[in-house]
Amino acid sequence: MDINTKELKKNAFRVTKHRGLTASRVRVPGGYLEARFLSMIQNIADTYGNGTVHITSRQGFEIPGIPFADIPKVNALLQPIIEGLGINQEKSGEGYSAAGTRNITACIGNNVCPYACYNTADFAKKIEKAIFPNNLHFKVALTGCPNDCAKVRMHDFGIMGMTLPHYDADRCVNCGACVKACKRKSTGALETVNGKVTRNHETCIGCGECVLACPTRAWTRSQEKFYRLTLLGRTGKKNPRLGEDFIKWADEDSILKIILNTYDYVAKYIDTTAPGGKEHIGYIVDRTGFEEFYKWAMKDVTLPEEANVYKPLYWKGVKY
Amino acid sequence: MNHNEYLPFRSEIKEVIRHTDIEYTFRMAYHGDVKPGQFFEVSIPKFGEAPISVSGIREDSVDLTIRRVGKVTGEIFERYQGDSLFLRGPYGNGFDMENFRGKELLVIAGGTGLSPVKGVVDYFSSHMEETKGMTLIAGFKTPKDILFLEDFGKWKQAMEVILTVDCADDDTACQIGLVTQYIPKLKLKNKEETTAIVVGPPAMMRFTTQGLLDIGLKEENIWISHERKMCCGIGKCGHCKIDDTYVCLDGPVFPFTKGRKLLD
Amino acid sequence: MGYILNTKEINEVFQNWKKDSVIYAPILMKNGGAFSDTDSVHYGEIQSIDEIVFDQKSDFSFKEILLPISETLFYFTEDSVKEPEAPVKQAIIFLRSCDLHGVKRLDTMYLHNGAEDPYYKRLRDRVKFVLIGCKDSFESCFCVDMGTNRSDDYHASMELWEDGVRIDNKNPEWDELFAANCSKQADVIPSYVTETETQVNIPDSLSLDVMKSSMWKQYDSRCINCGRCNFVCPTCTCFTMQDIFYTDNGKVGERRRVWASCMTDGFTDVAGGGSYRQNNGQRMRFKVLHKVYDYKKRNGIHMCVGCGRCDDVCPEYISFSHCINQLEDAMKEVNGNES
Repeated sequence: MDINTKELKKNAFRVTKHRGLTASRVRVPGGYLEARFLSMIQNIADTYGNGTVHITSRQGFEIPGIPFADIPKVNALLQPIIEGLGINQEKSGEGYSAAGTRNITACIGNNVCPYACYNTADFAKKIEKAIFPNNLHFKVALTGCPNDCAKVRMHDFGIMGMTLPHYDADRCVNCGACVKACKRKSTGALETVNGKVTRNHETCIGCGECVLACPTRAWTRSQEKFYRLTLLGRTGKKNPRLGEDFIKWADEDSILKIILNTYDYVAKYIDTTAPGGKEHIGYIVDRTGFEEFYKWAMKDVTLPEEANVYKPLYWKGVKY
Repeated sequence: MNHNEYLPFRSEIKEVIRHTDIEYTFRMAYHGDVKPGQFFEVSIPKFGEAPISVSGIREDSVDLTIRRVGKVTGEIFERYQGDSLFLRGPYGNGFDMENFRGKELLVIAGGTGLSPVKGVVDYFSSHMEETKGMTLIAGFKTPKDILFLEDFGKWKQAMEVILTVDCADDDTACQIGLVTQYIPKLKLKNKEETTAIVVGPPAMMRFTTQGLLDIGLKEENIWISHERKMCCGIGKCGHCKIDDTYVCLDGPVFPFTKGRKLLD
Repeated sequence: MGYILNTKEINEVFQNWKKDSVIYAPILMKNGGAFSDTDSVHYGEIQSIDEIVFDQKSDFSFKEILLPISETLFYFTEDSVKEPEAPVKQAIIFLRSCDLHGVKRLDTMYLHNGAEDPYYKRLRDRVKFVLIGCKDSFESCFCVDMGTNRSDDYHASMELWEDGVRIDNKNPEWDELFAANCSKQADVIPSYVTETETQVNIPDSLSLDVMKSSMWKQYDSRCINCGRCNFVCPTCTCFTMQDIFYTDNGKVGERRRVWASCMTDGFTDVAGGGSYRQNNGQRMRFKVLHKVYDYKKRNGIHMCVGCGRCDDVCPEYISFSHCINQLEDAMKEVNGNES
């Protein structure tokens, strides 16, 4: 049996512990898909795999027990899924075409969740379109609000939804619901002054609890959507760590640009001898210094005037 | 704009009588008809208003006895010095003397509850001939809380007075015990005809009125006065509403037959 | 008189009205909902007919125009008080029949219950009403049972039909204006509903004894005392006074009133710590009986107009109409206990 494992991996199949059998990895950006694709996945598992599926930790499906010889047939069956999910593909009919950059994960977002400040699945798809396929090892995750159900701080790029709360003092009856909600559930950024509420923009994290609590719509959401971008969290054996706040009140375009810029930076500075050609971005930043990273990442980025940039950043994490 | 009932007028403080550390009577310049049991909305502009009962009525002034218990009354205590307060009112029905004239009269008051009824006591203490006898039971928490101590001497000359405190740790001139314990011992000439006024905290009024019914007073001969939150005093703000009754408009003085049905 | 106007013609009428009036109607607030990417419908000033939301119930009622959510009563300076200026313009308010009946409830409190309220009066005297006819009811409406599904108390009515905006005008001052701008005259009767999906039964036997029923207990834990039901209600009129001094000049300040809710904490607090109705079930009982029992004892009409907004807004899915429909059994329960 002769298999080029490098090409195998780039085609989203993997080397498994069972010699001769591979597993197909179906990436679902944002974890959001029409239910009709599930029967297609079932069909692949039943026809070429062992009839089981694993729901992956990155919101995909892994179909194990597939003989290497069946890869082309599996890729043919994957085609409608790849098209339906809007996956960037190099050649039609030949399956997924990336392995380095990981699936973009997201919480359920404002399709369902009352707390979410934006449509996480839509933004995930936008990022998918912009960065795939790519062999560099990037992890991006999105979460609707600072509750961070999607655990985005464990990713290279963590995106948390924010809303800039607008206050109409004329609609406020000083019931105190927002102040209480902010204090008990968030950062305590609100204070009652003279029977009206004042917001501390520095400590406000844009979670929207005030808007949810307000019974008179004195607090409303901003028309624009804002995001907090956390940077360079990671799991792994060496030095796992949580991502640090990089920008508060960032916009969608800036985030897209920063991610794309970082690909250029990594391409320039990656250790070419790294095992498997993969190196977490954080280790590269440790090597070049944060300022060099910042220079590359922020190239041609124009942030909204509300944005706060935190720098330089320092990470802690577990060291052995 | 039409007559604006919300606009307060400035009233000069003629005198301040300190009863306790936290209870003062402000003698305010006022000309006009006022009845005991009515109230004024008293304010320090920029700090707020509070409803305060009239505790004394003179030709050119009204007494407002204020207990320092909240933000507004606190400010009034801090800022009154040599100056004036803002008033609007009087509001509410007050005690109608016609209901008490020619009757054997029993007044039972707890704490600051003595304020709204003090005008009635004052009036009859100098017009005893208009009653068939009068008894006052006034209860306070401790000797330090006693209000209108200087008036009790005058009242004692005119009528039967029982001044009592819930508890005391020194020798005091007054008796110790709740107002309700004196009810069975009252020597009333004709219990069926006795008219009673009961004013005080809700629990005190509940037990006292029950005590009076128990000794044979008729419920239609009992009067009470309610204290509720009132922002406007004119039947608009809604805070004092109980069932279909607005305490500020229809009260605060109620015949017990009506008052006992007012369940919050 | 009845008229049928096309969009252009009705906007001509609006242009004319706007010379001395502000036109208020339910409008779409894009992203105005509490949740992200949701809209809301509130009252706002409009310029043309296409801004009016005819096909949805407004989340908040017209009430905030006559009774501002936060209203300055007067300003304090060192030793004087000064009332704010009254608005110069008249107002024309578009509203449905239930809300038009709500106006009567506001009038009852603010013009007749005790002294006349001058702030309400000066706004009220400047208002004219345009009825939005209801071809259908919404899910939570129960106007028919409250007798508020129809009103004749309007200056004009307006409805969108295929042939244009159908108008019934009762205000003689407007006849000339409508006639001058209209291509068609016709008899117009505003639509009204005769049946609603939600129905209520207020038992004749209802009395205060119902407060002893166990039905209120469920609300102790279900209700979160947020007050939304009061704030969206076209007939709730309670307020609280606020005195403030300006932080930049402590010598100057104002006294204002803001909407209050009998469901929230603090509504009954008296100085010194006294408070009534501590639990949410009893607050619910107080509110419900006010709406369908004691208001009528005092004023001859029920307070509730059956608009159903309180049902629509409750984040805990507590239905006011469902609560009313428990009253009959609750009366049986308390009467049974006594016998």
